[in-house]
Amino acid sequence: MADPPDTDGVSEAVAKQLKVSDPGAESASSSHSAAQQQAAQPNGRPAPPDVEEDEEEEDLSSREAELRRIYEELSKEDSREHMNVVFIGHVDAGKSTTGGQILYLTGGVDKRTIEKYEREAKDKNRESWYMAYIMDTNEEERAKGKTVEVGRAAFTTAKKRYTILDAPGHKNYVPNMIAGAAQADVGVLIISARKGEFETGFERGGQTREHAQLAKTLGVSKLIVAVNKMDDPSITETSGKWSKARYDEIVSGLTPFLRSCGYNVKKDLLFVPMSGLIGHNVKDRVSKDVCEWWTGETLFSLLDGADPLPRDPLAPFRMSVIDKFKDMGTIAMGKSESGIVRKNDRLYVMPNKVPVTVATIYRDDVEVAAAKGGENLRLRLTGIDEEEMQPGFVICARHLPVPCVTHFYAQLQVLDLLEHKPLISGGYKAILHVHSLVEECEITDLRGQMNPKTGEIKKNVRFVKSNSIVVVRIAVEKLICIEEFDKVQQLGRFTLRDEGRTIAIGKITRVPKSRKEAAPESK
Amino acid sequence: MADKNHPEEGEQQVEIWKIKRLIKGLEAARGNGTSMISLIMPPKDQVARVQKMLGDEFGTASNIKNRVNRQSVLGAITSAQQRLKLYNKVPPNGLVVYTGTVLTDDGKERKVNIDFEPFKPINTSLYLCDNKFHTEALNELLEADNKYGFIVMDGNGSLFGTLSGNTREVMHKFSVELPKKHGRGGQSALRFARLRMEKRHNYVRKVAETAVQFFITNDRPNVAGLVLAGSADFKTELSQSDMFDQRLQAVVLSVVDVSYGGENGFNQAIELSSDTLANVKFVQEKRLISKFFDEISQDTGKYVSGVSDTLACLEMGAVETLIVWEDLQVNRYELMNSTSGEKEVKVLTKDQQADTSHFKDKESGADLEVVETVSLLEWLANGYKKFGCTLEFVTNKSQEGNQFCRGFGGIGGLLRYAVDPTQFEPDPDDFEEKSWNSSDSDI
Repeated sequence: MADPPDTDGVSEAVAKQLKVSDPGAESASSSHSAAQQQAAQPNGRPAPPDVEEDEEEEDLSSREAELRRIYEELSKEDSREHMNVVFIGHVDAGKSTTGGQILYLTGGVDKRTIEKYEREAKDKNRESWYMAYIMDTNEEERAKGKTVEVGRAAFTTAKKRYTILDAPGHKNYVPNMIAGAAQADVGVLIISARKGEFETGFERGGQTREHAQLAKTLGVSKLIVAVNKMDDPSITETSGKWSKARYDEIVSGLTPFLRSCGYNVKKDLLFVPMSGLIGHNVKDRVSKDVCEWWTGETLFSLLDGADPLPRDPLAPFRMSVIDKFKDMGTIAMGKSESGIVRKNDRLYVMPNKVPVTVATIYRDDVEVAAAKGGENLRLRLTGIDEEEMQPGFVICARHLPVPCVTHFYAQLQVLDLLEHKPLISGGYKAILHVHSLVEECEITDLRGQMNPKTGEIKKNVRFVKSNSIVVVRIAVEKLICIEEFDKVQQLGRFTLRDEGRTIAIGKITRVPKSRKEAAPESK
Repeated sequence: MADKNHPEEGEQQVEIWKIKRLIKGLEAARGNGTSMISLIMPPKDQVARVQKMLGDEFGTASNIKNRVNRQSVLGAITSAQQRLKLYNKVPPNGLVVYTGTVLTDDGKERKVNIDFEPFKPINTSLYLCDNKFHTEALNELLEADNKYGFIVMDGNGSLFGTLSGNTREVMHKFSVELPKKHGRGGQSALRFARLRMEKRHNYVRKVAETAVQFFITNDRPNVAGLVLAGSADFKTELSQSDMFDQRLQAVVLSVVDVSYGGENGFNQAIELSSDTLANVKFVQEKRLISKFFDEISQDTGKYVSGVSDTLACLEMGAVETLIVWEDLQVNRYELMNSTSGEKEVKVLTKDQQADTSHFKDKESGADLEVVETVSLLEWLANGYKKFGCTLEFVTNKSQEGNQFCRGFGGIGGLLRYAVDPTQFEPDPDDFEEKSWNSSDSDI
C-alpha cells in the first residue's frame, strides 16, 4: 500500500489541508470548497455548530469539480480497488480457518505466531483449529471453536486490496453475520464437503441456506462457492486424491437453490474446490498429485477477477457506523457507502444531526487525506462525544444529509414465516436490519400485494402468507437513517427477522418527505 | 381459557372483563370533597357489624362544617346503608359497595350506587371516604396468582420483565457498551482481552444485582419462576455465576436461547418457555390467536374477521369461539325512524359516530332517533350465549394479539363450518379500512 507522502498528488492535498487548518495563513487555494472551509474555521478550531448556512450556498459545480479532482488523485495513488469479502456458511464449514490461511499465505501472520497457535490448539486437543485462531481472537471463541463476532483482517494481492469479514456460522449469531455481510461486496460461501456436513448445512434451517439468501439481499452480488475440506478422509478417494464425484454432487445440489435465491448461475456464481486447512487451491493451484481434475482457478484468482459494484464518487458522503471508541477523540468505524470524504470535511452524524469535523482518516490502519466510497474507514471526529454516537448511526455530508424517519414504505418479499405466526398482517412485529442498524419494528399496514408473475398490485389485502411479495408500511420507534433503494442501495435494503429466523427481505421504496421527526400518526 | 370442558371458566373470563370495565369507570370518576365511599367486606364478615360502623360514621359525618360536603357525605353513607339492607349476610366471595356523587364531564352531578359480589373471594376489608373510588383491591383480584420473571440478556443490554395473567410488563431495561472483538490501536492484545473480560464480568455482576433488586422483596423471590434468556453465553454465565442470588437460582425454570435482546427477545423467551408457562393467560391468548391464524393460513374457511362479517356469522350461529379485543372501540346503536317506525341496528366505530350521516335516514334525510347505545363489547358479553359461542377477550399486548387487533380489526372468530366470505358484500366503508388506514397522514 502506498504511503501518502510517496505520491505527489496526496502530499499536495495534505499540504493544502494543512494550510487550511493553519491559524494565520490565508488560503491561496482557488478551490471554493477549501476557502469555504477556512471561513468556517478561522482559527483552526472546530466549527461552531450553528455555522451551517454557508454550506448551502456552496456552488455545486465547483464542488463536483473538486471531488472529481480528489477522486482522480486517489485513483492515481493506488489504483488497486478495495473490496470487502465476507466468508459465510454453516457452522464448522471452515470460514475462520480459510480466513486464517489466507492471512498466513499473504504474509499477514508470521510463522512464530502460527506455531504459538498450533501449540495452543494442541493443548486443547483441537489441532485443526490453529488456523482459525488467527481470526478468532477471543477466549470464548477459541474455547468453543465458534466465531461469535465478525472478525476482520486485511490483505492485499497484486490486483486488489481486500478486507476479510469472517462471519459467525452459528444460528444464534446470524444478527452478527448480517452486520458483517452488509458491508461486503463479494461473498465467499464456504461449504464443507465432509460427509454429512454438507447435508446438514443445506437442510431447512441450516445456515448454508439462510446465509446465501441473506447475502444476496444484503448486496453481495457475486458469490464464490468454495467447496472446502476436499482433503477430508471421509470423502477422498482411496489413494487420498480429491473426489470429483463428491465435488460434482455438491455443485449440482447447490446450483438450483442458489438460482432460486436470485443469483445468476452463469454470471454471479463461481465454484472452486479447496482445502482451507492445508491451503490447497487458496493462493496456488492444487498440485496434480492431489487433484488432477481441477484445472480452473484458485480462490485468489477468482477474487481478483470479481468486480464490485461501481460507486458514484460524486454522490453525497454516507458512512454507517459499525463501531465507535475513544482514542484521542471519538473514532467512528464503518464502511463508506458512497461519496468521498476528505480530512477537515464537515459532516453530520445522523439521526441526531450533530455537526462534526473529520480530524483524521484511517483506511485499514493507514492514515490518509481522503478516501473514496467502498472503503473501510475509521474517522476521528471532533465536535461529538463518544456517547452521542451509536452503531447504526450514519455519518453524512451536510449539503445532502441522509433522511431520518420513523416509518417508511417498502417492498417486502416474504420468505418462510414462523409456524406459530403464519401470517403477516398489520401489527406484525419483527426485528429490522438495515446496514449496521438493528431495530425493533412493526408492520403497520399492508398497502397491496404484488403478483410476482404479472406485476399487478392487489389492493386491500388484510394479510399475506409465506412466499409472497407485498408493499408495506413499516414503523420504528426511534429515528433511523435510511435511503431509498434507488439512491443508495446499501442503505436501502433490509431484512426482517423474528425469533431467530429470517422472515422477509425487502427494499425501501419510499421515505416520507417530512424528515424532521416524521411522526407517523400526526395529521 | 374456556375449553368445552370448562364452561364456568369461560364465564369467569367474561366476569373478569366486566370488572375491568367497571374499574375503569370507577377510576375515572371524581367527586366533591370526601363523599365517595368505597366499602369492601371480606367473606364471613357480618353485615350488622358494617351497618353499625356506617351508623357511627354517619354520626361523625354530621359534624362536618361545610354544608355541601356534609350533605353529600351523609347522602353517600345513607345509600351505602340502604344497599347493605338488601343483603342479609355477606355473600360467599365477599361484597363490594361503591356509593357517591360523581361529577360528570359536563359538570353535572350523578349518583352512583354499585354493589356486587366479586368473582372470587376478596380478602380485603376496606372503608374509605375520599374524592375518588378506591379500586386497588379489585385490581389485585384481576392479577393472576402466578407471576413469572424474565431476564433477557445479550451483548447490548438487558431487559427485566414479568408475565402475569395476560399482562406482560417490562420493568427495567438498560444497555451496555461492551468492547467488540477488535482492539483499538496502541493496546496490546493481552491487555485488550483482559479489559474485555473485566467489562463482561462487570456486566454480569450488574445484571445479577439488578435482578435481586427487581425480583426479591422481603428476602424472598416475588415471582413464581424465572426464565433466563439471551443470545450467546451471557445467560449461562449468569445462571452459573456466584454473583447470581441463590434465592433466585432456586426459582429458575428454564434457560432459553433467543436470537435478540430487548422486546423481541422477551417475546421469543415467552414463546420458547410456553410449555412451562402453559397455564398463564398470556400464553393461552397467544395460542388462541395462533389457532385463528392457522385457520387462515390453511385456507380452511373456518374463520371470520371484521365487525360486520363476524356479526353476520354470529347471527348464523356459525361461530364457535368469538375472539374480541378487550379495548374494541365500537358501539352498537339501535336507531328508529320516528316517522315510519322502522328500527335499524348499526355498529359504528368512533370515527363513524362523528359522521352524522349514519344517524339520518337515507331516503328522507330525517334524523333517526337513537333508542339505545351500548358498547359492542358489552352487548356481546351480555348476549354471547344466545349465539351458542364462547367469548374470549384478548389484549394487544402479545405480538399475536397486536397483529390481531391491527390487522384484523380486533374482532374475529373460529367457525364451526366453513362460510364463504364473499357472500358478505364488501362494504365500501368497511370498518377496518377506515379506522386503521386513517392513521396515515402522508398518503
